[in-house]
Amino acid sequence: MFLASVTEFRVSSVASPVSLPVTVDADSDHELMIAVRAGEIRRLGELFERYHKPLYGFFVRLTNQPSASEDLVQIVFYRILKYRHTYRDEGKFSAWIYHLARKVAADHFRKHARTPTPADPTDFHDQPDQDPAPDTQAGTADDLALMRRALARVSHEHREVLVLARLQHLNHQEIARLLDCSVGAVKVRAHRALKELREVYFKIRKEQAA
Amino acid sequence: MNCQRVQDHFIDYQDGTLAAEDSAALRAHLASCPTCQREWSALQEITRKLEALPAAEEPSPRLREQFYAMLETHQREADSVSPFALARSRLDRFFAALLPSTPALQFAGALAALAVGVFTGARYLTPPPSAAAPVAVVDQAAQQKIADLEAQVKDMGSLVAASLLQQKSTSERITTMLATMDLKSPDRRVLTDVVSALALDPSVNVRLAAVEALTDHADQAVVRQGLLAALTRETAPLVQVAIIELLADVREFDAAPLFERLSRDEATDQNVRDSARRGLAVLRTPSPTDPLKNNNPSNPAPAVS
Repeated sequence: MFLASVTEFRVSSVASPVSLPVTVDADSDHELMIAVRAGEIRRLGELFERYHKPLYGFFVRLTNQPSASEDLVQIVFYRILKYRHTYRDEGKFSAWIYHLARKVAADHFRKHARTPTPADPTDFHDQPDQDPAPDTQAGTADDLALMRRALARVSHEHREVLVLARLQHLNHQEIARLLDCSVGAVKVRAHRALKELREVYFKIRKEQAA
Repeated sequence: MNCQRVQDHFIDYQDGTLAAEDSAALRAHLASCPTCQREWSALQEITRKLEALPAAEEPSPRLREQFYAMLETHQREADSVSPFALARSRLDRFFAALLPSTPALQFAGALAALAVGVFTGARYLTPPPSAAAPVAVVDQAAQQKIADLEAQVKDMGSLVAASLLQQKSTSERITTMLATMDLKSPDRRVLTDVVSALALDPSVNVRLAAVEALTDHADQAVVRQGLLAALTRETAPLVQVAIIELLADVREFDAAPLFERLSRDEATDQNVRDSARRGLAVLRTPSPTDPLKNNNPSNPAPAVS
């Protein structure tokens, strides 16, 4: 196992425009955060520019609620400011920010579990505004819409692993640290998640065909 | 490598993190196993579809605006010093300007302040002289009060002794008797108590102790009369002998008729009769060694005259 694979993001083989910047300089992230911790609050702006889109993507994929996801990103950065003194020197900033993001997402789901609003992501595909327009329901666009809906229906636990590994391009070691479990457990979960996604995907396709 | 193990390695193989020999074994298995081939291609396909998913739509400009607004607020809070700290620093500067900065001057200043304080205290905090007179008055009153209290306590002591004589057990009554012997000058009341104990106490031992207690005070008339009265009533030979010897010792000439009667009484104890005879002899021969003992004006010695 390469040390780099533990400390660096895996560079995706598939070019993904809104995944983490390929040229992320972890040291620079760390230095920026140290400066923020020391009181140079405005330096957080640079970190915001680097991370707000990946975080937004993470929340949208997880919650399927674009508007709420913006709020969640805002909450993450608010917590960074509030708890900036707890940032450790040895800590890796990307790990820390995803740690905060997961907690924010967990709070969000807990809050919505209490309220009667339609929070179940499996209901998401029934919302008309997220359905692809009829004229785009062909070829690749159709495929993507199908995949989006399938991902929304996968269980929360599996969806989280899929988003972190396949869309946010965190490696298994980082995910293991985030989920507080072993790397082996992450791999097993990732494999099962892909299987579930495939089942859901073909089920929806069958439903659509019918 | 069996099918299960191969499929367990799919994720690592997909990521390119599988060891070289394991990858070779996996490829070899795939080439010969249609089931695993299907499974692998399905996994690859769904992964490809998933990763082909375009990233979520761009967040709205609202997010950036809100973030920078929050950032500005926090930066201002961090920059601004609290008004309390500001006021404190101003106070500090004020006193720093007011007070000397060199330690020697600070020390001198502190000494001067102490001297002024001591002087002021000495000048203004002494009690006014007019207060002395009332204090003296109070003193006198207090002394009077103390004297009264002392008298009361003394009376109380006598009362206690009397009550002890009347109520307590024999041994306690004896203890009280012996305690009265320690009194240098017991008052008349105590002596009366002891005399009445000599006359009335049912216990021979208490009566003997009473005689002993009265020995040092036999120069007093009340004691002598008490002894004489007790002797006429006394029946216990031990006490009779003690009284006779005491009366003879102090030359109580009024006891002579009593001694004579006792010495002739056939019914009395032989020892008592002998003692009475000796007492008579003592009373009839004036003591050359102690002529002053008859100076008692209440008992003018007939032998001298």
